[in-house]
Parts: sequence; structure tokens; C-alpha cells
Amino acid sequence: MPCERKPMRYGHSEGHTEVCFDDSGKFIVTCGNDGDVRIWEGLDDDDPKFITVGEKAYSLALKNGKLVTASSNNTVQIHTFPDGEPDGILTRFTTNATHVTFNSSGSRVAAGSSDFMVKVVEVSDSSQQKTLRGHEAPVLSVTFDPKDDFLASSSCDGSVVVWNIEEQSQLISWPLLQKTNDVSNAKSLCRLSWQPSAAKLLAVPVETKVHLYERGTWDHVSTLSDDLQTQLINVVAWSPCGRFLAAGSVGGSLTVWDVNSKLCVERQKHEKGFTVCGLAWSPSGSQVAYTDTEGCLGLLDGLSTSTSTTQAPTKKTAKDYDDLFDDDDDDRLMDEGLSDTNSPVKKPVARDDDDDDDDFLVPATGRVRNRGAVLDDENSLDTGSLKVGWDRFGDDEDSSAAAPAAPPLVPLRPVYEGPLPTAPQKAFQPGSTPAHLTHRFMMWNSVGIVRGYNDEQDNAIDVEFHDTAVHHAMHLTNSLGHSVADLSQEAVLLACPSTDELASKLQCFHFSSWDTNKEWMVDLPPGEDVRALCLGQGWAAVATSALMLRLFSIGGVQREIFSLPGNVVCMVGHGEQLLIVYHRAPGFDGEQALGVQLLQIGGRKKQLMIGESLPLSLRSHLCWLGFTAEGTPCYVDSDGVVRMLNRSLGNTWTPVCNTRETCKSKSDHYWVVGIHENPQQLRCIPCKGSRYPPTLPRPAVAILPFKLPLCQTSTEKGLMEEQYWRSVLFHNHFSFLSSSGYEVDEDGRTQSQKEQQELLMKMFALSCKLEREFRCVELAALMTQNVVTLAIRYASRSRRMALAQRLSEIALEKANQIQEEEPEEREEEPQHAAARRPSGYEVTGGRRGRRQEEEEERGEELREEEEENAQEMETGEEAGTRNRVTASVKEAASPVIPSLTPIGKVGRANPFKVLGSGTPSSSSAQPRATNILDNMASGRKSSPLSGSAGKPNKGPVLKPLAPRAKAKTQSTLLQMTSTKKKSQEVTPPAAEQQEPAEAPPPASPADNTENKRPKTGFQLWLEENRKSITADHPDLEETDVIKEAMGRFRTLSSEERLSWTERAKGQTGDADLKKRKRADGGGGGGGGNEHGQAEADENSAKKKKSLDPSAKLSAFAFNKN
Amino acid sequence: MDPSEVEFLAEKETVKIIPNFSLDKIYLIGGDLGPFNPGLPVDVPVWLALNLKQRQKCRIVPPAWMDVEKLEEIRELERKEDTFAPVPSPYYMELTKLLLNYASDNIPKADEIRTLVKDIWDTRIAKLRLSADSFISQLEAHAKLDNLTLMEINTIRAFLLDSLNCMYKLRSNLQPGSSKGQFTDY
Repeated sequence: MPCERKPMRYGHSEGHTEVCFDDSGKFIVTCGNDGDVRIWEGLDDDDPKFITVGEKAYSLALKNGKLVTASSNNTVQIHTFPDGEPDGILTRFTTNATHVTFNSSGSRVAAGSSDFMVKVVEVSDSSQQKTLRGHEAPVLSVTFDPKDDFLASSSCDGSVVVWNIEEQSQLISWPLLQKTNDVSNAKSLCRLSWQPSAAKLLAVPVETKVHLYERGTWDHVSTLSDDLQTQLINVVAWSPCGRFLAAGSVGGSLTVWDVNSKLCVERQKHEKGFTVCGLAWSPSGSQVAYTDTEGCLGLLDGLSTSTSTTQAPTKKTAKDYDDLFDDDDDDRLMDEGLSDTNSPVKKPVARDDDDDDDDFLVPATGRVRNRGAVLDDENSLDTGSLKVGWDRFGDDEDSSAAAPAAPPLVPLRPVYEGPLPTAPQKAFQPGSTPAHLTHRFMMWNSVGIVRGYNDEQDNAIDVEFHDTAVHHAMHLTNSLGHSVADLSQEAVLLACPSTDELASKLQCFHFSSWDTNKEWMVDLPPGEDVRALCLGQGWAAVATSALMLRLFSIGGVQREIFSLPGNVVCMVGHGEQLLIVYHRAPGFDGEQALGVQLLQIGGRKKQLMIGESLPLSLRSHLCWLGFTAEGTPCYVDSDGVVRMLNRSLGNTWTPVCNTRETCKSKSDHYWVVGIHENPQQLRCIPCKGSRYPPTLPRPAVAILPFKLPLCQTSTEKGLMEEQYWRSVLFHNHFSFLSSSGYEVDEDGRTQSQKEQQELLMKMFALSCKLEREFRCVELAALMTQNVVTLAIRYASRSRRMALAQRLSEIALEKANQIQEEEPEEREEEPQHAAARRPSGYEVTGGRRGRRQEEEEERGEELREEEEENAQEMETGEEAGTRNRVTASVKEAASPVIPSLTPIGKVGRANPFKVLGSGTPSSSSAQPRATNILDNMASGRKSSPLSGSAGKPNKGPVLKPLAPRAKAKTQSTLLQMTSTKKKSQEVTPPAAEQQEPAEAPPPASPADNTENKRPKTGFQLWLEENRKSITADHPDLEETDVIKEAMGRFRTLSSEERLSWTERAKGQTGDADLKKRKRADGGGGGGGGNEHGQAEADENSAKKKKSLDPSAKLSAFAFNKN
Repeated sequence: MDPSEVEFLAEKETVKIIPNFSLDKIYLIGGDLGPFNPGLPVDVPVWLALNLKQRQKCRIVPPAWMDVEKLEEIRELERKEDTFAPVPSPYYMELTKLLLNYASDNIPKADEIRTLVKDIWDTRIAKLRLSADSFISQLEAHAKLDNLTLMEINTIRAFLLDSLNCMYKLRSNLQPGSSKGQFTDY
């Protein structure tokens, strides 16, 4: 039986509902928990009339223009229909009535109540009533015998009773149901139904089956069941002709049986699987209306059940292939044969001739009927069945012992019993409410609100901006019937579906345009409908029913066009990014199979995500799709789970919030309107008892926090882990933005970095307290280098030497890592900037910026310095190298330039040359020197170079460095050398930078004269091993030798390296003193003075630094309470 | 104390607004306000809310209690109880007046709310008068009145103090010489 399941309509609030048709079949009448009776003029009625009958309406019945309702004030009342005028109270109970029903003529009403009584009342004279007593629990359901002699009722005491109305006595009672104490606890409502015309049968839903009892004999004559019916049947209803019986179950399945053949002829599933609690046939028998416990009304249309149409060709819908199982094997086979997928005609009547009577009376014998004949029939009818269902068939054969020798060769009807496909979700605009509403949001996003009105008075669209600075509010008449909209800072985009005459149109109000034409419109090709659209920065995209994606510029120029892999579900744009979600394949078992495509439109066009599948919660669909304000894709499914793209983990989706967790009631939802990563905000509208907000009263936005679903977030550890990873996740956008060339909020970035490191340190402290040293090391691996040093201090203070040792290895590793990365990334990576901080530069970021500004003004002076350098240069190999360095450094990126001067000067006291003098390393003189810090010196050597070099130049006064007279003569020489060297390899500066010897680089002239050079382990080592290197590679130049040496030094074990640094330290004398001396004795010229100042600055910075950690540590101190 | 002074105090109460402009945090002596994001509710003092509203820079979100159903409940409670029932806000009268005068377009069913609040007010003032009356007639030395708002106290303060003073004077004149003594004065 083909039928169409219409989409559900929201009718009442959550709770029990009932439905019936009026006598003409024109109206559908429903009642529900909100106490209203709604009169729907067809399912598409957007504005049903309603009558308020009480606080709650439990049941209703309608006949002859009288509407009888059972309401919460314990009465059964009459209203006129369709006017809804109160027409008196029919009867009262001591508690509420549970079910009311009319008899066939409409002269009497029966009502069952929770006070265990059933009353039968004359409608015309409510004083004439009969009370049927005998139930021992609330009455579930009542039904009249069409001939008016009997009445059947079911009750929570488990019995189904037939009463003689006149005698007010129990005729028969069947204990069929489970006992409960209240209607609300009953597993099934057990709505009985009496066959209308013939009055021969009484249908009683018993668990998953329907028992049929014969009137008069009260024999259980047959059972209607369905193999796929696994849930309790709640309600049954006879078709007006009395041939078909519809049943609705707790699990939302709707089944229609042909009672004559006892075949299931139609099987439908409630679209959301809610409990069906009301069921009614239209008087014409072509429609079945049903309601669920969530207050929604649904309709099955096109049921051709009237007796006259039985011969009409019925086309099997694809769904029906599994509809054909029945308890009765023969019938099933029969049906299989008849309803073969290709068989155009179904002949129930013919079948009736063969077996109907037999089956009807003695169903048990049905099984031993001549199977062969049936199968032959089947063969003759079968045109090309598939073998899919063969196994299943075999199973059934086994179970029905009557036919052990089913011929396996017989081609069988295709039987499919795997997972059922889900209806694909329809295309929607994220941030819009359903299209059938008269007043609805067409778009609510971070820019503003587009509201659509479509009622008698008005068909209009209101556009309102959150920020009135963008544009003033607009009111547009919607003559074209636009149904989808998007809104951006630049434009409003609207589109309407095609009609018979008109093509689907796209209309754009480009309000930010600077010319006078603020509007453009485009017709889509015939047969193509707009399904989804979105706006980006300077472009608009439209997905159409022809699986096409069309791009337009915001001014209306057609741009790229490409095909989509599937039907679009929705799409969104942000800046240059376009995110499309489409149906990848049919989903099964309530799942949606969605694919996602992320494209970059604009400058660098590319596809970032190529049709990956979009992970959704089980049995849910997509509800919202969007970008965070920072440009990270995210979406929300119908289970309220918000997921965000994690670009740092190969474009995976991370659940960041479950909005349902914060809902107070089951039917409350949050309607998401926007997501911000910094600050972390989920902007959404709380909706009480619905999924989306009404337009009036104007909903208010609420903010929800994010929470990663990590384990054990109630513990301190879990809490901090969640905070840490959330922070990491929500700051991914910084790297994305900077990589795609957008401005980045550096403050926010460093802030987040700090926050993450603090959390790591806290976790570290916690693990320390818990004696989890391994975990400590793992955490340390996540830290930046400077925080590792803090961790080391913490570990050593808490006397965990083994831990401190391991941490120092990690620190060393990190230092090396940074060292390797630095040449390329010294400017880009703030992480490294942070890492450099321990070397005494607290505000690298800001300084670098300023340094660049000053660069230009300093250009001249630099040259002067250079000249001076050149002048003082010695001729020879070292000088050559050095000069090459200066030259190439000059070539290099601007930030490197500051290092030019110091390198030049340092060059004068070439580190490789003066090694032999054995001057102590000043770095080891730091008050907090430990072996690890010593090692770390190698990690920071390059930053001091650039950092401290920038510093003196940054000083308020920039004095000319040297007498100019000399410079003149030398300038040409310098020019020559530098140009000559320009062509040379760029590696020398790198080598120079990598060279670990230079902890405090800016050596003043005074220093030079004294020839006091700081020294580190590497230098010592180099000194000893230089010869062997040169022996191995005699052809190497100086810089290459150093490079080679660096490599070798690194291959040494850490212990060896430590021992070298120890030795270097051993040589350290009174570096501090010398430093001071240097600072004081800066009389060696203007330049020296400046450098001395720098040194002093650096010293103080270091001192500050040495104090800092302990202060910081105290902040991290773990409080065990 | 002037009613306008009480109103001034009430203006310190916070109320949610939905701004239609964007502004960073503003730092005031009384505390930091903001940041203001268009479309996002933010708590501000009533005086600022009204100012912004008058400049059409925001919509005011009425406080949760400013709702017909809730007020009806409160009214019923107020009528049922002999003593003063707790009020939804210590400045309910002032806030209702201020918000309804300046932002009635943002408050659904403004008229009903106005009536309800007036009903509540009238009931309470009637109770207050009644208790003042019984206080005086029973010659009590003290009385305890819970849940009174500043505005309510303020309405009766002047009258009550003056009249008590006056009565005290009368009594003190009456007592020392009893009735005879008084007559001699005249």
C-alpha cells in the first residue's frame, strides 16, 4: 500500500496527545497537554484554530458537531464544533478521565477514568448515565460496540473487559496486559478499537501484536503481528471500511494490516521515533493522522484502502520491500509473490478468494497449506527478483517446520533486511528557523538578523543589524517569495525557489556598494533551484538543485562554477573560506552520511578539505554550520554537540561543547548563533520546549562556556588538562591567521601562551606532589624551554634530583631544537621569542617591532659603524671571514641587521682566535648558574646577539661612533668588500649564530683591549679538537671548520658536553667583576659607552630574571588542600 | 529623603542591555563596564542603560521578574499574606517606573506590568498604613517590618515621624498634670 508520510507538524507541548478527524474529513482535530484543542484544516494549515478546554486535555472525541474532551479538571465537557463554544459538562469523575469515545451514532459517550470507573452518558441528556464498575485500576481505554450493545475497556489492572451496557455487567474479562498502578506508568495505552461496519471484531493491542476477538463468541480468532514490530503497540484504529487496522507503537512505528489476509500492508516509521499516542483514520479512509508524545502531528496520505480501490494498481514504494513479513508464512510467501518489486498489480481480492476464510477462522492451519502451489504462482509472477533475501527466506523456512524442503532453486522475491536508509536531511540555512513558519528568522548571524513575515497582512523581510554602524535596518517587501537569506557586513543575499512561471532568483542588496546601484538580481537556469547560499568577503556562493555551486562576486559578476559531489545540506562563508556540507551517500539507521568541503576562494584558491565525512553524533543530523569569528569551521548537530576543526591535528573535528548538558529540561534546546574563540564564547539562544526560538518576544542571546569532553574533569588533574587542551585548541587560529596573512592579536597570543605554560607548570607541580615523575617529564616535554628551567628549579627544590636530571636533558634538547629552527624562524615564532626570554630579554616582541622602526634612521649610523669597523679591520683570514659575515648579514632580513655592529666588533676579537687566552665565560658567572643553565647558554647565544645588538641602538641617544676623517678613506674599501662578498653563501651568519660560544656577545672596545673573552665548553672543546678537524678536512675554510666542529660537538654525549661546560666554568673567574668593569670603563669611545650600557642593562635584566623564577614558583606552589 | 533620591539610588541597579554598537571596556570609578558587543547582552547600571536607550544605542532586556506571570504570583502572595511578602527587587517600583517610561517598547505587555506593579505597590502601602495605624492605636513602642523597600519606607517616614512626634508632644503634655492640669493651661 503506497502512502506518503508527510512531515511532522508541531502541534502541542510535550506530553500525551490525541487526534481525530471530523465527520467530513476536512479537519484534523488534536488535543494535547497544553489544554488546547487544535483544529487543523489539513496538515498544511499554518494557523490552526484552537479551543482551550482546560489546563490539560487528555482525550477527545468528535461526532455530529460535538467535541467531547476529557480535561484536567476531572470533567468531560462538550464544545460545539467547529465554533468551539462550551456546551456544558457531560459528566464528572473524582479524578481525570483518561479516554472518551462516541458510539457509532454519536448519541452516547463513554469515558474511562483514573478512578477505575467507566461511564456511559447520553449526549442529549447527561443525567442518563450508566456507570460500569469493576476495574481495579485506572481505565486506559474504552470503545463502543458499533451495535451499541457492548462496551470494551482496558485498564491498568491488566484486564480487558467487555461490558454489557444495559445490564452494566462484565461479560468477559481477559487478563492480557501488564499491571501497573497508573496510566502514566502503563507501558502501553492499549487503545482498543472495534471494527466499525461489520462490528465483528474487537482489536486489542497486546504487547507487539494485535489480538482480534470475535463479537459474540468472544473467541480470540487471530493475531496480527509483524516481524519487524519489536515495540509495544500503543494504539490501534480501524479504517472506516473495517478492512484495515492501523497500529502505532511506543517506538514510533506505524503499521497497517489488511485484516482479511492478516498481512502487513504498510509500514512506516515516525520520523523521529517518538511514541505514537494518537491515531485516526480519515472518514474517506485515505489518510491516517497520528500524534506523538512530543506534541507533533503527522499524516500518512494516499492510503488506498477503500474496498472499491482494491483492484487499482498499487505501486510499491521502495520502502515496502520489507513490509511484507507476516507471522503467517503462507501469506508471507503469497505476498512476496504478489508484491514482487516489478509486479505492478496487487490483488488482495484474488487472494481473499483462496485463503482468506480459512486463515481468518483457523489461522493455525494456514501453515500447512499447499506451499508448492503458492510458490508456483510466485514463479509465474516473478519477473526478476534479486537474491538478497534468500538467506532470510531460508531461516523462515526452518522456523516454520511445515516446509523443511523448500526448493532452494526457486527465485525469490528480494528481501532486504539490513539497516534501513534514513531520509536525507533537507537543505537549510544555518541560523534560520523552519520555512513553514509565518514569522521566522531567515538568518541570525554575527552581523544581524533577517526576519521573514508571511501572513495575510504582510509578506516582507526585515533586515536588522546588531551593530547599527554597519547599516540601518531595512524593510523589504517580499514579492518574489524569498525563502533563503544570508547577511554579511557588505550585503544581504536572498533567493527564492522557482515557480511554474518564474525561474529561481537570486537577489542581492549590496548596501556597502559605493555607487548608486545597491541591488542586483540573477535568474538561475530553468529547472535549477537555489538550495543554499552564503556570503563571504567580496563573494557570494549559491548551491543549486542541479548539484552546482555558482560563485558570484559581491557586485554581481559571475565567477567560478563547479559541481558538487552530492545534494547540498548547507554552506557558509567567512572571509575567503567557503565551507560546504553535502550528502555523501544515503545514511542508514537514522544516521546522515555527510561530506564536507572547505575551499579557499580569493587570492590563493585551493581546496583545504576534500570531501571528508562530517562526524555527527549517533542518529543526529546537522543543525548549524558556521565559522568562528576567527575563521575556524565548526558545526552543531541535533544532539547539541558543538564540534570545531582542529587544524593542528590534520583537520580533525574536536567536540568542544555539548549544549544539551546545560539544558534544564529534555525538550529545551540551545539555538546556536555564533562562536568566538577569543574570548571563548558560544553564543546561543535558549529555547524552552523547542529547537528554535520564536520571533516574538525577541529572544535574548546567552553565552555558554566551552568544555572539552575529557575524562574526570571533576578532579584537579582532569580540570587542568581540559583547560590546557582547550586553550591549545582555541588558539590554533593564531597560527592559521598568521599563515594566511591576516593580522594577529599578538597580545592575545602571548597571553594564551602564558596561560598554557602556567597550566603546564601547575600540572607539573601536581604530578610532582603525587610522585609521578614520569608524568612530570611528559609534561615537561610540552613546555617551552624557559618553563622547563622553572620546572627544573621546582624539581631540584623539592629534592627530586633524578627528575631534575631528566628535565635538564629535555631542556637541552629543546635548546638544540630551537637553535636549529631559529635561523629560518627567528622572527615568526613567538614561541621562540618566549624561549629566548631566559637570556635576559623580557620583552622581545615589542622590542623587535621598535627595532624595525628605528632601522631606517639607523641606516646611516650603521654605515658609519661599518666604516669604523672596516677601518679597524685587520687584514687576514679572520677579517675576511668577518667581513663576509657583515656583508651577508647586511643582505639578510632586516631584523638581522642590528646584529651587524656587534658581530663586526666581536669580530675584532675573533672568538676563534682568542680562544687560547683562556678568558672566563661570563655566562657562568650568573648567580643562578647550574649545569643546566650553562648548557642553556648555548641555546640562547644567537638571540643575545640580535637582541642585545638591537638594544644599544635603541637607546635614546645615538651618537656618531668614530671620527669621520678616517672613515672617508675606508668607505670605498668597505663598499668594495661588501659588494664582492654579497654573492657569497649565506651560511656564514648562520654558522656564526649557531656558534655556541657567544653568550654575552657585545664586547666593548675596552673589552677587546683587555682581551677578556668569555668562553664556553664548546670553545674549549674546539680548541682541542680543531687540529683533528683541520687534519680530516684540510680544504675547509674557517667557517666550515666551525660548522664541522659544531656537528661533532653535538654528537658528543650529554655527559661529555657537560664536562666541557664544567671545564669552561672552572676557568671562569670574576666575570661579574669584569663585567662591571666593562660597564664602568666604557670610556673607550662613544660606541663602547653604549655597549657598556647595554651590558649593564643586560646584567640587571639577568638579575631580575634570577629573582623572578622563585616568585613565579611560589605562584605555582601546589596547595594540597 | 526625596523620592528622586531613592530613584537615584535605584539607578545603580544593573540591568541587561543588548547594545547595537561596539565598544571596548570602559573603566569607571564605580567599576568596569563592557565590553560592548553588538547583539550580545551585557550588564550595565540602569542610568547607563536609560541613557543609551534614549540615544537608541541599545535595547533593554527587562529583568526576569518583570514578567506578567511572575508579577501575578507576587501579587497573589502579597494579597494573601498579612505581612509583607518578599519583593522581586529592592527597587521594584523605581525600576518599573524608569524602565517603563523610557523603554516600554522593549518590554512585552508593558501596560499589564505597570498595572500589576501598581497593584502590588498599593497592597503594600495599604498594609503599611494599616500597620502604622495599629502601631499607633495599640501604643506599641516598636514594630518589626520585614521586606520593606526603601521607597516604601520613604513614603511613610515623613508622615509617621511627624505624627509620632506630635503625638508624643500631646501625650507628654497630657500626662504630668492629667486632664485638670491641661485645663489650667488654657
